[in-house]
Amino acid sequence: MTGEHDKDFEQYQALDLKIAKALQIDVPELRMPELPSVDTAKVSALPVRKRSMKPVWFAIAATVVLATSISLRTSGLFKSYDSLPEEILAHLDHEPGALQVTDVAISDERLVRAVPASMAVYDRGDALITYAQPCVINGHDVPHLVIQGQHGPVTILLMPSEGVAEAMPIDGDSVKGVILPFGKGSIAIIGDREELLEPIQKSVLSSVSWTA
Amino acid sequence: MNSSSAEGKRRQRFDSLVGVFHQDMYRFAAWLCRDKAIAEDVVQEALLRAWKSLDSLRDDAAAKHWLLTIVRRENARYFERRRLETVDIDNLTASQAALLAETPNGELDDLREAIFGLDDDYREPLVLQVLMGYSTNEIAEMMGLKQGAVLTRLHRARHKLKDSVEDA
Repeated sequence: MTGEHDKDFEQYQALDLKIAKALQIDVPELRMPELPSVDTAKVSALPVRKRSMKPVWFAIAATVVLATSISLRTSGLFKSYDSLPEEILAHLDHEPGALQVTDVAISDERLVRAVPASMAVYDRGDALITYAQPCVINGHDVPHLVIQGQHGPVTILLMPSEGVAEAMPIDGDSVKGVILPFGKGSIAIIGDREELLEPIQKSVLSSVSWTA
Repeated sequence: MNSSSAEGKRRQRFDSLVGVFHQDMYRFAAWLCRDKAIAEDVVQEALLRAWKSLDSLRDDAAAKHWLLTIVRRENARYFERRRLETVDIDNLTASQAALLAETPNGELDDLREAIFGLDDDYREPLVLQVLMGYSTNEIAEMMGLKQGAVLTRLHRARHKLKDSVEDA
């Protein structure tokens, strides 16, 4: 049964990869329209609209679950997580040293130690990678990388063994991010709440390939 | 802060956001309307509207969602104004065909044509999920649907595309 499920999941992912490629049509050069002058003195900002992706009861329930989970974890009695995003946030809390603001890049050797060729290839390009460590998340080996974004360090977790059907948001107190489906696995990208993650996501997805 | 400096900063902010999201805006428009020329018009209108209401965007992290929502509305307005017929896949205009003819690649072309032939109701959530990376919850909110309806449409869209790929 599990074998059939895995096969279906692989076929589903293979089809999605093809669809994603087919949707990537060529884009013509940006032609900016003539923009009228705007009287900035008269502009008044609209009130901030909170995104309500989930109903209120869900938020309350999530808060209760999170609070209970944190309390159990800190008591040392319990160490399991309700979801992958939650485990990832807990992992980041346990490795605060990774999130240093620095312009010192790690060596290629250290990158290869964290991202073994048997698992994946990460083309570092011109990205400033400041941290690379092999970690374990949800029982799987996960290369943990950090690059420097516009608003501070951005965490990248390469998870070849964590297939996800769709993008999953990660919402922490001071960070936000997303787990993106990528081939048979997924990649988590988490940064400061102010960080514009879209360009980083695009760059990371084009830099990684699974080898296993 | 004087007004010219404020407008300069405003323009800088706008250019920076458009620089990052222009490709997404165009691709979303192109797959919504299935016509290269109309997609360019829709993006132009969307950029103009985004510029005028830029100050309502308080958080740049929400810019992609904001811009794609504007594209979606502009596309609807465009078709409302012109009262255009739905696309007949066997009788494409040059501008529609141009969208399919880009970067010729056998298997990809077949799939692209199959996506092109999907009903709007199926194609839009598929583009939002696979190309734009939205969750089914977010797509439901954007399209004013229940999450279950989105899941059903996505399933049917994939099913149709799978059949097309296998037939080809």
